[in-house]
Amino acid sequence: MLYLLTNKHQILEKTLIILIAVMFHSQSLGGEYDYFERKIRPLFHKHCYECHSLKKEKKKGGLFLDSRQGWSMGGDSGPAIIPGNPESSLLMRAVSYTDADLRMPPKYRLTEDERSVLFQWIKAGAPDPRVTNVNIETKGIDLEKGRYFWSFKPVLDQPVPSIKPTLSLEVNKMSAIDRFVIRRLQEEGIEMVGLAKPEVLLRRLYYDLIGLPPTIDQLNQFLSDPSFEAYTSLVDELLASPHFGETWGRHWLDVARFAESSGGGRSLMFKNAWQYRDYVIRAFNSDKPFNNFIREQIAGDLLSGGSREQRNDYLKATGFLALGPHNYELQDKELLRMEVVDEQIDTVGQAFLAMTIGCARCHDHKFDPIPTADYYAMAGIFRGTQSLVPGNVSGWVEQSLFPSPQVENAINQHLNDSKQASLDLQIARKELERAELELGKSAIVIDNTQSDIIGEWMKSTSNKNYFGDDYIHDKGEGKGEKKVIYSVLLKEAGDYEVRFGYTHGTNRSKNVPVVIEHADGVATIRVNQRDEPPIGSNFLVLGRFKFNAGKAVVYVSNAGTKDVVIADAVAFVPLGTKKNNSDSRLSELRKKVDDLAARVQHLKKSKPADLPRVMSVKDQAESSDWHIHVRGEIRNKGPVVPRGFLKVASRNDIEAQARIAVGSGRLELAEWIASNQNPLTRRVMVNRIWHHLIGQGLVLTTDNFGLKGDTPSHPELLDWLSSQFGKDGWSVKNIIRHIVLSRTYRLSSRGEGLGNVMDPENRLLWRANRKRLTAEAMRDSILSVSGNLDKKQGGYTIRKFSQYDLGYEFDSSRRSVYVPLFRNTLMEIFEVFDAANPNVVTGRRNETVLPTQALFLLNSPFMNNESNIAGGHIKRMVKTDIERVRLAYQSILAREPSRAELELAMKYISATNSDSQNNNWGSLIHSIFSSVQFRYLD
Amino acid sequence: MPKIIHNLPVKPLSRRDILKSVACGFGSLALSGLCQQSVNASPISLGQRHPMFPARAKRVIFLFMAGGPSHVDSYDYKPELISNHDKDYDFTGVRFGTFGKKSKRKLMKPLWGFERYGQCGQYVSKLFPYTAQMVDDLCFIKSMHTEGVAHGPSTLFLHTGATNLVRPSVGSWVTYGLGTENQNLPAFVTLQPSSSKGGPRNHSNAFLPAIYQGTAIGKAGRPTSEAVLRNAVNTDLTKEEQKRRFNLLQGLNAAYLSDSEKNDQLDAVVESFELAWRMQMNAPEVFDFSRESEATKRLYGIGEKHTDDFGKQCLMARRMAESGVRYIQVNYADESTNPRWDQHSNMPKHMDHAMATDKPVAGLLADLKNRGLLDETLVWWGGEFGRTPFSQNGDGRDHNPRGFTTWLAGAGVKPGISYGETDELGDTAVENKVHMHDLHATILHILGLNHEKLTYRYAGRDFRLTDVHGSIVRSILS
Repeated sequence: MLYLLTNKHQILEKTLIILIAVMFHSQSLGGEYDYFERKIRPLFHKHCYECHSLKKEKKKGGLFLDSRQGWSMGGDSGPAIIPGNPESSLLMRAVSYTDADLRMPPKYRLTEDERSVLFQWIKAGAPDPRVTNVNIETKGIDLEKGRYFWSFKPVLDQPVPSIKPTLSLEVNKMSAIDRFVIRRLQEEGIEMVGLAKPEVLLRRLYYDLIGLPPTIDQLNQFLSDPSFEAYTSLVDELLASPHFGETWGRHWLDVARFAESSGGGRSLMFKNAWQYRDYVIRAFNSDKPFNNFIREQIAGDLLSGGSREQRNDYLKATGFLALGPHNYELQDKELLRMEVVDEQIDTVGQAFLAMTIGCARCHDHKFDPIPTADYYAMAGIFRGTQSLVPGNVSGWVEQSLFPSPQVENAINQHLNDSKQASLDLQIARKELERAELELGKSAIVIDNTQSDIIGEWMKSTSNKNYFGDDYIHDKGEGKGEKKVIYSVLLKEAGDYEVRFGYTHGTNRSKNVPVVIEHADGVATIRVNQRDEPPIGSNFLVLGRFKFNAGKAVVYVSNAGTKDVVIADAVAFVPLGTKKNNSDSRLSELRKKVDDLAARVQHLKKSKPADLPRVMSVKDQAESSDWHIHVRGEIRNKGPVVPRGFLKVASRNDIEAQARIAVGSGRLELAEWIASNQNPLTRRVMVNRIWHHLIGQGLVLTTDNFGLKGDTPSHPELLDWLSSQFGKDGWSVKNIIRHIVLSRTYRLSSRGEGLGNVMDPENRLLWRANRKRLTAEAMRDSILSVSGNLDKKQGGYTIRKFSQYDLGYEFDSSRRSVYVPLFRNTLMEIFEVFDAANPNVVTGRRNETVLPTQALFLLNSPFMNNESNIAGGHIKRMVKTDIERVRLAYQSILAREPSRAELELAMKYISATNSDSQNNNWGSLIHSIFSSVQFRYLD
Repeated sequence: MPKIIHNLPVKPLSRRDILKSVACGFGSLALSGLCQQSVNASPISLGQRHPMFPARAKRVIFLFMAGGPSHVDSYDYKPELISNHDKDYDFTGVRFGTFGKKSKRKLMKPLWGFERYGQCGQYVSKLFPYTAQMVDDLCFIKSMHTEGVAHGPSTLFLHTGATNLVRPSVGSWVTYGLGTENQNLPAFVTLQPSSSKGGPRNHSNAFLPAIYQGTAIGKAGRPTSEAVLRNAVNTDLTKEEQKRRFNLLQGLNAAYLSDSEKNDQLDAVVESFELAWRMQMNAPEVFDFSRESEATKRLYGIGEKHTDDFGKQCLMARRMAESGVRYIQVNYADESTNPRWDQHSNMPKHMDHAMATDKPVAGLLADLKNRGLLDETLVWWGGEFGRTPFSQNGDGRDHNPRGFTTWLAGAGVKPGISYGETDELGDTAVENKVHMHDLHATILHILGLNHEKLTYRYAGRDFRLTDVHGSIVRSILS
C-alpha cells in the first residue's frame, strides 16, 4: 500500500533520513550534541550572532539564534528551523540564496560545506543543547485596554459646568465654552485677564476669519461701536465673506498636503490639482457639513446621486487621495504601488483621525494600540483603489468631469459628424482611385527616394503617414544649404494639380518653401508643416499649374526656415486638356474628395474643447483582502487579513470589519470615519479649529492623538465641542462662531500675575495667546497695503505650465492661496516663513525664528518694492507728516501709533533731505512691515 | 486634584527651557545630553555641540557628482572587462519592464587606459590625471551599492537615506548632531544645487527643526560668480541708508517690546535681525577671492576655461571649511533631465566632466592638506550610483546601483587604501559590500555621532538617518 502511494524520490529521501538519524543515533552515545558543538555552534558564532544574538541584544528581524528557543520561535517571518525538515526551514532558504529577498548572511553566501552541515543537522532534528532562561516577551496589543485611552473613548455629551460668581465676571453672560474654561481656572485659583482692546480684537478677528487686515473704514466703524452686538454681527459678516473659505480652506490644504507637483525625483506638475484647491475653498465657504466633506474626499468617485455639479465636486474631492508626493519614476513598480498605499493610509490616518497608522507598516505600532494587521486591513482597501497609471514613469489617475447636457450633445453631434465625414471621404477616394485607374489618369508620384537630395537629410519613419518607404528631414540644421528636387518627364502637356507630401508635427517649420517650375513661370508656396495635410494626412494641394511635355521640376528647400523641414513626395495629377465626359466625371469626383477632405479638416478644427479633467482615483476592477508584508518588505508576504479599520477606534472588533458588499471598501472606510460613532473624527476637527483660533489646540499635537501625543488640557470642553459639532450637522462655521463669540477668545494676550507663575504656557487659557501671522497673511497684507493685491477668486493659476516644476518663476499678485504651490519650488516668502511642508500632513505649522527671515525682510526685492509703492500712497493721501505716520499705522497694524513709535517715525522722516522723501516713506513702511508688531497678533 | 497641573513647572519657563525645546525638539531623549551642553546665550543661533564620542573629523566636504560617473572607466580597474570586450553576457534587469529578467548585454571595455599611481600603486584611469596624483590620500570604496535605479530615487537615497519618503538630509543630521562653529554663516551649505532629481529635498531638514536646513547658495547651471547668500545684499539703499533704516526698525521693535511683558519669542525675532545684520556684513567675505594668491587660484584651475566654474566652487568650499561651516556640499550638477555624468550614450563625453572637475578636486585636496585642514575635514567624492559594464545605445552605459565606487579622503579614514570589490566585470559589489546606509553610518561615526543614537522623534516615532539599517565600515577608519 505504502509503496503505491509514494514515488521514488520520496523513498530515497526517507532512506536518507533514516540513515542520518541512525548515524546521529550512534554518535549520540557519545553525546547527542557533539555534532552541534563541533560544527554548528562555531558556524552560528562566526556568521550569525553579529545580528542575531540575545546576549548582544541584537535581534534583527526579531530573530535570535543563540538558543533553541530563539530559532524555534523564530522572528518576524516565523520559525527559522523546523527540526527534521530543512526544505521547509526558513534558515536553509536564507543561506541557500535562492530567494532574492531573503539572503543570509546578507553580505556573502556560506560555503557549500557549511550549508550542507546545516542541512544535515536540521534533517537530523536539530539537536540543540542551548536553553535560555530569558523570558521572551510575547508582545501583543491589548485592544480592550487600548480602548480606555482618552481619545478612543466615546465622545460624551458633557454637561456645561456651573461656575462661582466673582466680582469681575457676569456669570450669566458666560458662554458654555467660557464656563468650562473658568471652571478649570477657578479650581486652580487663577484669574482670567480682561478683554482685549477693541482694535486688538478687531485685527485678531479679521486675520483669523478672512486672513486680511481690516481697512481703515472698517477700523473706524468698529471703534465707533465696539459693543458685543456689533461684534456679533461683524462675526457673521466675516463668516459669510468669500475670503473666509480662502483662509480656512488654506488650513485644510495644509492638512491635505496639497501641492501642484509630485515632488520626488522629477517633480511633475499637476495641471489639474487647482480643481481640488477650489473645491476645498468652496466647501468652507458654503459650510459643507464636515462629514460630507470627509466622504467626498475619501470616496467621492463612489458616491451616487446628486446634481451634475455635486457629482463633479465628488470627483474633484478625491484629488485628496491623488495628489500626494510620489516618485513616479521609481522602477520597482510593486514597491511604488505600496508606497502610494502607505502615503494614503498615513494621510487619511493623520488628517482625519490624528493617528500615525503608517508606523504599523513594518511591525505593530510601538506606542499606539495599532497592530500591523490593522494597517494591512486598510492597505487592502487602498490596494483595491487605483491611483497609478502604468509606465516607465508612472502616471496618476485623472477623470473627466460630467458635461452639461448641451455640451454633451455638442460632443456627441460632433463625434457622429466626424465619423460620417471620414467615412464619406474614404468612399469618395476609393471611387476616384477606381475612376483614375480606369481612365489612365492616375497621379504621377515622385517619392523622396527618387529625388535628388542636396545636403544632409535624415531618413525617418516616426510619423506614420508617409508615402513609400520613409520620409526625410533636415534635422533642423544647415538652413539654406539643403534641397530636395523632384523631377519627372511628363508625356503630355496640360494642366496638372501639384500635391506636396509631408508628415506634420509640432517641431516642424511653419514656412517651408516649395518651388514649382511650370510653363508660365515659377511659383513658391510656403507650407506650414505643423498643420496636418488634408489628403490622407499626407498630401497637400499646392495648386493647379500648366506644364509643357518634358521635364517638370518641383523642389523643397529649407531656406528661411527655423525648425525641422520634411520632404516626402510630390504628386502630379493630370487634369486633362479636353473637355470630355470622362474628364468632367474625374473632376467631379476630385472636387467631391476635396470638399469632403475640407469638411473633415473643418470638423477637426471645430472640435469642442476637451472636458475638464481632475486628479482622482477609482476602484480597481478587482479588489480583495491583502497580505501582511512581514517587516514591511513587499515581497515577504505573511497571512491575509480581512479589510477593515482601526480596531481600537471601534467599539469592538466586529465594528472594525469593513463588510464590503462591492468594491474596494473605501466607501465603508469613509462612512466609518465620518460617523458619529467614531471617537476621533469630531475631536480631531474641533481641536484643529480651536488651534487656529486660540493659537494652540486643547490637544497641542493636532495630528497625533495617540499615546505619544499630548493629552487634552480641557477634556470635557473638547467633548462638549465635539458633540456640539455633531449636533450642529458638522458645521464648521457654527463651531468657529461659538469660539470667537466666547470671552475666552476675546481676552487680552497680555497678563501678569498668578497665571504667569502657575501656567506660563497658558494651557489653562487665562489669557489669549499671541499668534504669529502666517506667511500667506503677511504677503496678502503687504500687497493689500500697497494696493497690488488681486482679490480674484479661484481658477487655474499656473502661468507657465511645463512638465517639471523646477525653476518656476512666481509672478502672481493673487491671494496667496492661489499662488501655484510646487513641491520642489516654493515662492520664497512661503519657504522662508514656515508655510506648511506640502509633503506631510500639517495641522500645526512650525514657528521658527531664523536670520534668513530677517534677511528676507531687510533686503528682498519684494519687500523693498511693495514698501516703496505703499510709501508713495501714504505720502499722497494726506498732507502732514503726523497724519502720514498715523495712516501708515492704521492701514498696516489697524491701530494708532504709540507715542514712542510716533516720535521715532517723525525723527526718521524729518532727518532726511527732501529729494529722497518718497523713499523715506517707503523705508518707514518697510520698517513697520518688518517689525515684531506686524508679525504677531496680540 | 486635576491631572494637568502636575505637569506645570513651578517657575516660569526660562529662555533656556524654551531653547531646549526649540533647538532639540520635544522629547528627543537621545540628544537631551547634547542639548544641555548646547544651550547658549542666543535663542536662535545654532550653538556648537560636542560629539557623542571623540570625533575623527570636524566637518564634511561632499563633492557630489550628479548623474553617476562610470566606475569602470575611472577607478575600478577590471582586466576581465577589457579581455571580454564586445562579448554578450546575461545580466539581470533592474528597471521597469526588465525587472528581475535576464537578458544578453554587450560588454564594453573602459574607454580610458589605467595606470598605477603613488606609493600605494592604485589604479586610476586617464580620466583623472590630477586626482591620480593624490591617490595616496584617497580611501576608495569600490563595493558601494544603493537603492533606486532612476536618478530621482537614488539621488534622494544618497542624500536622505530614503528613495521616496520625506527624510532629513545627511547635512541636516550632522548639524543637528554637532551644531555650528560659526554664528555668522549657515552651518550647512550646498553650493549650486540642482532643483531637479529631488531638488531642495536633497538638502532639506524634513521634520527636523528648520534651523538644520541646508542653505542653498547659487543655482546649478548658473555661473559660480553669481552664487551668493540670498538676500544678503541690498541694492536699493546705500550702506548708510541701510544702517539708518535698520536702526529705525530695531527702535520700533524696542518701543513695542518695552510696552509688552517679557517674551522670549519676541526677543528672538529682535535678535534674528542682529544676526542677519552680522551675516550681511560678514558673509560677502567668504565669497571674496581677492585675497587668494594667484598660485592658489591656479591650483584650482580658476581662470582656465574648463575648470574655472567648478574650481571656484571648490575654493569656496575651502574658505567655508576654514570659516567653520560644518557641512559643505559642492555640486557638479545641472538642471537637465539627464544630469551631467549621465552617459546613456556617448561615453566619450565623460572626458568633458572629468576635465571640469579633476583639477579643482585635486587642487582642493592639496590646498586642504597644505593648510592642515585635511586632518580635520572629511572629503567625500561620489555620485548617486555607477554605470554598467555593458553598453547601452552603442556607446553609452546605463545606471548601475548594484556596484560602484566612491572615495573618501582626509580626517578619519585610512589613506591610500581600497576597500571592497565588484565582480570581475565591475557589475555587482561582491566583496565587503558597502551599502549607502553603511556609508552614512560610517560618516556619522567619523564625526563622532552614533547613527543608531542620533534620533529625532516625529509623528510618534524615533527617526534616524539610517532607518533600521547601516553598519560602520570599521576597516577603513584610521
